[in-house]
Amino acid sequence: MSIASTIVNGTPIFGKIFSVDRSTGLEEINAWPALMIMSSFVWLVVAGLLGLVMPTTQIFDLSTDHFYTTLTLHGAALTFPFSFQLMMGVGLHRSGGCVGKAVTGWLPALSWLSMNLGAAILTVAVLMGLKVSVVVMFPLPLVGAQMGVWSMESVIVGFTGIYLVLSCMILWYPLLVLKMMFFGKKRAELVLSERSLNDPGMLGMLLAAVTLILTGLPLVVVGTTLLLALYKILPMSLAAWAAEPVVFQYAFYLFAHNLMEAMALMVSSAMYATLPLYLADGSRKLYSEKLANLALWILLVTSVTSGLHHFITFYPNQPAALSYWGNIMSWGTGLGAAISIFTVLATIWQHGLKAGPGIIAVLVGWALYILDGASAIVTSNIVWTYQLHGTMWQSGHFMTVILAMSMMWMGVLYHHYPVLTGRKLDPALGSLYVKMFTVGAFGAAITMLAGGAAGMPRRFAAWNQEGWMIYGDLIMVFGLILGASFVVYLYNMMKSREISAPMGELARA
Amino acid sequence: MLDLRMLDYVYTGWGAFWATMFMFVPFALMAYWVIRRKSLVDTGPTGLQPSEFAPLEGIWLTFAFIFFVIANLASLKYIPWAAASASVNGEPEVQVDFTAKSWSYDISNRQIEAGKPVRFSGRASDTQHGFAVYHPDGRVLFTMLMMPNTAKPTSVVYTFTEPGKYKVRCLEYCGIAHHAMQDELTVVKSH
Ligand SMILES: [Cu+2]
Repeated sequence: MSIASTIVNGTPIFGKIFSVDRSTGLEEINAWPALMIMSSFVWLVVAGLLGLVMPTTQIFDLSTDHFYTTLTLHGAALTFPFSFQLMMGVGLHRSGGCVGKAVTGWLPALSWLSMNLGAAILTVAVLMGLKVSVVVMFPLPLVGAQMGVWSMESVIVGFTGIYLVLSCMILWYPLLVLKMMFFGKKRAELVLSERSLNDPGMLGMLLAAVTLILTGLPLVVVGTTLLLALYKILPMSLAAWAAEPVVFQYAFYLFAHNLMEAMALMVSSAMYATLPLYLADGSRKLYSEKLANLALWILLVTSVTSGLHHFITFYPNQPAALSYWGNIMSWGTGLGAAISIFTVLATIWQHGLKAGPGIIAVLVGWALYILDGASAIVTSNIVWTYQLHGTMWQSGHFMTVILAMSMMWMGVLYHHYPVLTGRKLDPALGSLYVKMFTVGAFGAAITMLAGGAAGMPRRFAAWNQEGWMIYGDLIMVFGLILGASFVVYLYNMMKSREISAPMGELARA
Repeated sequence: MLDLRMLDYVYTGWGAFWATMFMFVPFALMAYWVIRRKSLVDTGPTGLQPSEFAPLEGIWLTFAFIFFVIANLASLKYIPWAAASASVNGEPEVQVDFTAKSWSYDISNRQIEAGKPVRFSGRASDTQHGFAVYHPDGRVLFTMLMMPNTAKPTSVVYTFTEPGKYKVRCLEYCGIAHHAMQDELTVVKSH
């Protein structure tokens, strides 16, 4: 039994949900992904509870410190160890079966360890007092320490945690994806559903891995320099360039923005791979693979530089020309979305759909992603961003993109779960989950956008002015529904039954 | 003739909300209809060839492209820095300088005459801060982002039309008292 399986089996409650079926001979594909997926759901529970604490502190007028603590932890837990890790787990399981290669060795181990250890260390730092939000707001960590709001130790601990998380996202995980695509021997017994690189289901993974590495490199250089200075290995005078707010911010958003786009590429490719399996006529073909690939390429090319939209209100420090460019490129991603809309609906129209909770979850997540995309391009317009930047609109957009991608992966996981564990899920509970998620997620997303339209600030512990509390109350209500939907999803897995048919056959079916 | 006041509304926060819904709602209805119909009502393949979809594909993508272009072109005159050059020809600009520091503002002039273009120029002295001016009815008129150590101050030009009290809030998270970082401008009738 591999280390990964041992850890899963030794974990209370969650271990039972994700314990790998070892009778199939597929443990080499299943074990690490199962551990990553299990860990991501542990973090989801943490993130979900923290998410509910935020409106609670405001509705009951608790200490604003609690709000900023949970804000930082909730954002970080939801984005990295939940959403990104869920993507790693399901995505690696998928690519293992597509290229017929084992997900074993030191790369998956390092990916899992750096993500979870890093997130845990960051959590410790936040509990030590570091309240900097998920985007760090550099130079806030250093300024807060100088002002005595939190300790320098908490900054060092926090940066260490973030650094480990980044090493997973920028290095270990993308390297693992590339290694599986281009190196190592294909083993026939591990091939579940063969795909080539021309397949949109594989192309998206490749583009995403390359994007993560390339757009992450500047942040790695800046981050390494800063961390070495914090550890006093490098004199601060040599790290001063990296501590310049403008340098850090641009390196940070070049990566942060493209991290979201890479995750979108990854999940879009998973959708393009999963949808054909559920077509009613068994044709297993997209309306047009060319068009699907074109959408991925447009998303890639436009998104690399569209992150400039984060700094439009920084004028003239960000020159107007760069802001116009960011504006145009952001709307260019909308063209990719328009193509994706056409491809998906034409595919379903052409071939019919064998609807089940898994594929419907993918499609609902995708629809949520379209809503998010619309809200994102609107706020990337120079005029609109002058009124929306820094409001709840942005929180709504960020939360929605994370929820949309997570929903799509949870739908894909619904498809993979039987292969992973040898157990089958209850469709009635599955569709209850989809319904509750739909109400909770769309409700929360639209409420937060409306709050932003009404001028409600984000990351702001005083909602009780200008009539904003109504949006806070609604966020609470939809948040509870959303939380309940995740409980149903996990409950379904906990109650799953052994499948009697030999799994090897089922996996290949 | 296009009513320009309608455009004034389109390029506000709530205009952004309705623009988002304009893109999302028709898509959601269409997607719901297609998915429902092809998974419950008439699940068989349609027998349509990809070539038969082609005209629809062209129309859809052209429509999306034209909408994107119009939505952005029509917004140009509302850009706070584009408005700056136009305003210079009429009234002289009033200069308001400010410095943002955790967690308050130093503002050179908190009383402003309506009708005169105002150039706001601001810097942050410790960490990142925002400077969002709110209309008395609660909506954001514009927001600015300041980082420490920049060569130039962050700047916009805005012309107030209605007298009243305008709240200023920091919209860039700047630490534990971020929500208390507020100020007020008073706009008075021009004389
Ligand atoms: Cu501030």
